[in-house]
Amino acid sequence: MFYIEQLFNGITQGSIYALMAIGYSLIFGTLGLVTFVYGEVVVFGVFVGYYLYAVMGLNFGLALALGLVVTWGVGIIVDKVCYEKFRNAPRLIMLITTIGFAIFLKSSTQIVFGTQQRNMPDILGHVFLNIGTFRIPFIQILIILACIFFIVGLQLLLYRTRIGTALRALSMDKDAAFLVGVDVDKVIKFGHSLGCVLGVFGGVLLGVFYNAINPIMGPNIGLKAFTATVLGGITSIPGAVIGGLILGVMENLTVAVYSAGYRDIIAFIILITVLVIRPSGLFGRKLES
Amino acid sequence: MEAILRTENICKYFGGLKAVQEVNIEVEKGIILGIIGPNGAGKTTLFNVLTGTYNSTKGKVYFKDRNITNLKPEKVTGLGIARTFQNIKLFKNMSVLDNVKIGFHTQTKTRMIDAIFRTATYKNDDRICEEVGMELIERVGLKDLKDEFASNLAYGNQRKLEIARALAVNPDILLVDEPTAGMNHTETLEVVKLLEKLNSEGLTVIIIEHDMSVIMNLCHNIVVLNHGQKISEGPPEMVRHDEKVIEAYLGREE
Amino acid sequence: MDQLFSLIEKIKQKSVYYLIPIGIFVLIFPQLTDNQYVLHVSIRILIYMLLASSLNMIVGYTGQYNIGQAGFYAIGAYTAAIIATRAGYSFLLILPICGILAASMSVFLGFPTLRLRGIFFAFTTLGFSEVVRLTILNWRTLTRGTFGIPGIPLPEIVNFQVSTNNHFYYLGLFLLVIMLFISHRLINSRIGRAWVAIREDEDAAKAMGVETFKYKMINLMYGTFWAGIAGGFFAYFAGYVSADSFILDESFAILAMVLVGGKGTLVGPIVGAIILTILPELVREIARYRLVIFGIAILVMVHYRPQGIAGARAEGRRIAVESEYEAGTAEPVTETSGKGS
Repeated sequence: MFYIEQLFNGITQGSIYALMAIGYSLIFGTLGLVTFVYGEVVVFGVFVGYYLYAVMGLNFGLALALGLVVTWGVGIIVDKVCYEKFRNAPRLIMLITTIGFAIFLKSSTQIVFGTQQRNMPDILGHVFLNIGTFRIPFIQILIILACIFFIVGLQLLLYRTRIGTALRALSMDKDAAFLVGVDVDKVIKFGHSLGCVLGVFGGVLLGVFYNAINPIMGPNIGLKAFTATVLGGITSIPGAVIGGLILGVMENLTVAVYSAGYRDIIAFIILITVLVIRPSGLFGRKLES
Repeated sequence: MEAILRTENICKYFGGLKAVQEVNIEVEKGIILGIIGPNGAGKTTLFNVLTGTYNSTKGKVYFKDRNITNLKPEKVTGLGIARTFQNIKLFKNMSVLDNVKIGFHTQTKTRMIDAIFRTATYKNDDRICEEVGMELIERVGLKDLKDEFASNLAYGNQRKLEIARALAVNPDILLVDEPTAGMNHTETLEVVKLLEKLNSEGLTVIIIEHDMSVIMNLCHNIVVLNHGQKISEGPPEMVRHDEKVIEAYLGREE
Repeated sequence: MDQLFSLIEKIKQKSVYYLIPIGIFVLIFPQLTDNQYVLHVSIRILIYMLLASSLNMIVGYTGQYNIGQAGFYAIGAYTAAIIATRAGYSFLLILPICGILAASMSVFLGFPTLRLRGIFFAFTTLGFSEVVRLTILNWRTLTRGTFGIPGIPLPEIVNFQVSTNNHFYYLGLFLLVIMLFISHRLINSRIGRAWVAIREDEDAAKAMGVETFKYKMINLMYGTFWAGIAGGFFAYFAGYVSADSFILDESFAILAMVLVGGKGTLVGPIVGAIILTILPELVREIARYRLVIFGIAILVMVHYRPQGIAGARAEGRRIAVESEYEAGTAEPVTETSGKGS
């Protein structure tokens, strides 16, 4: 019973990680942008939304929407500062710039919003869905549904829209995409910001799930999104989803069997294991130089 | 004559693209072998397979009758095969002399302890690097530029430095990939003379080159690749009159 | 900004003339002041110099971005704290153990990641330093968890009790000088050249016969060894260790010192450590914004002066910038290509 509950917790959390991972995979896998700042952008976006909602007293939907708009803007700024000048430079440069930006954004977030953990307002906290003897918190089902909605939405965007086609073209061959008239710069900015926004959705849902958000959770979010992405195979968005689910379930089972203190170690262990056994991930194609 | 390097049905596929297919070559000791072919014929890919940069899909490579197929590039170098790169790969933020010094890596033995305490091993290695390194730089005509950063060299000089660096490995066989690309006439002549001189001292050379006058003057033997396959082989005079070669370069006339 | 940089260039050209007076000043410094606060800050700067220099070995010489140097620093500090408080071995025995333990942990990290490039190593080191911190917090029987370990005895070197700030200053300075001396000798040897070759162009390094994986591993072990030593020294100096000293921000600060001061030179991290430690001390108002400024400083450097304040690069700024970006460090997403897998 306890384990089944934990399994369900794991699936809920896993779908949140999946959402963050597809955002990461979009940026790192599809666009080929090395990013270290992702987790910090997510935290910043979540806190902007939280501030508007809890401190300024806006309603939840409006606060979330404004938070996403700000995130979109931060995504553009990150691209301007970290990527734009270095489009044809070695990836190592992007690593350094995003590390610099991450340090800046992490500390700024802490100064603006404090270092305290904040309690997320309890929405639907006590509504349960009873299936036989199981009591499943309604909010968890809502979270899973929201994640499925975004994942399907992203797939539709990638395969049914003009900008989605451009994104996919870009991921295959940047120069060729440019030659057939894709505005590379614009599409990269769009894709990057979209990835960040997906991450913030994930961050908000994580906050709702835990009833708490923490301004220092950035590096952890970054590491988990990265791990799920690598586990799934970097360029594969369905892979990222499965990677996220595996990570979420493993974490919660570890907490159930072991102790909550080691929760954040799981991502690291999975990452190391994948890198040793199969660096191309579960669904990655092996790359030839 | 004994073959110093030979391949048996070597293949390299990238997914569906067959970059090198069933190529057999034999390189006799002490010759200069030219590899020519239209763009995308698989010349550089062949080099990369020979030197272990790529794993081959099928087939074998033998160096002095030893199977070196799919050995790591650093191991291949250690056995005595040196190379230069088509798209110059120098250590840009190192001086000209230091670039060449890296080439002595496999022949020197300095360990951490030796370096810290400057033991006899260190001093000996250091002397070799310094003296032989300077000799090599002088040979390619870069003596005055020895302290310059590699990235500050003119294009032609960068190619010469790559050759000097490869020679530092003290190879039995040198693979040069378009050594005169982007050079003016004088520089090209210098490189041709250098390669001839090296060859006369016993070095076996394999050269990829687009400049036909270089190939025809320099090579004892030529292998022609097209679409990853060997279509012709022989001395320059023979190859230049081979119908298949002319066809490959000019296209089939219907 | 340009004028400032050209001034720096001028100072650098004459650096030999400054070296002797600076050396003398550093040696007699503790005699000039009785101010314990100043001495305390000086020792902290020395620790940061050691840390930044150790990280520079990895980041600056082989180009592997280690984001978790504080993890190895922590291993060194806790090793010293645990052994000194429980077993009571002598300082001279414990300090090398700190370094060796940190270096051997780095093998576990290097093995899966050093065949891959860039971001894999970065994220793994980040994760590692968090794992170290979480282990410290959770393995209470060994580390006392959140309470930290107090009461680390003062070090004794052959019957001499290191007790005052003055003593610690000279001990720290001695460790730093040794580290720089050994590093200098390594850099100007076959080993150091192999490291730099890997940084500049890994494929070309392989083509020259450099066993890149092995040399990256040696390099990582060497760099983390000194982080462990710095940790051990810190534990003795502070007399108390707790997980709070080894948070990610600490790694970030050390990295900022390397990047701002100038990676790939011995003097760069020294300059970086001085500037980035003294600045927040002098201007108390900005202490709170310390890391915000570090982050911005890294970005400014990458954009306008990739070699850092004291770094040397190919002639002129433009060329330096270009060569930095063109250098064949361009990497595939994973290096499973061609070889291995």
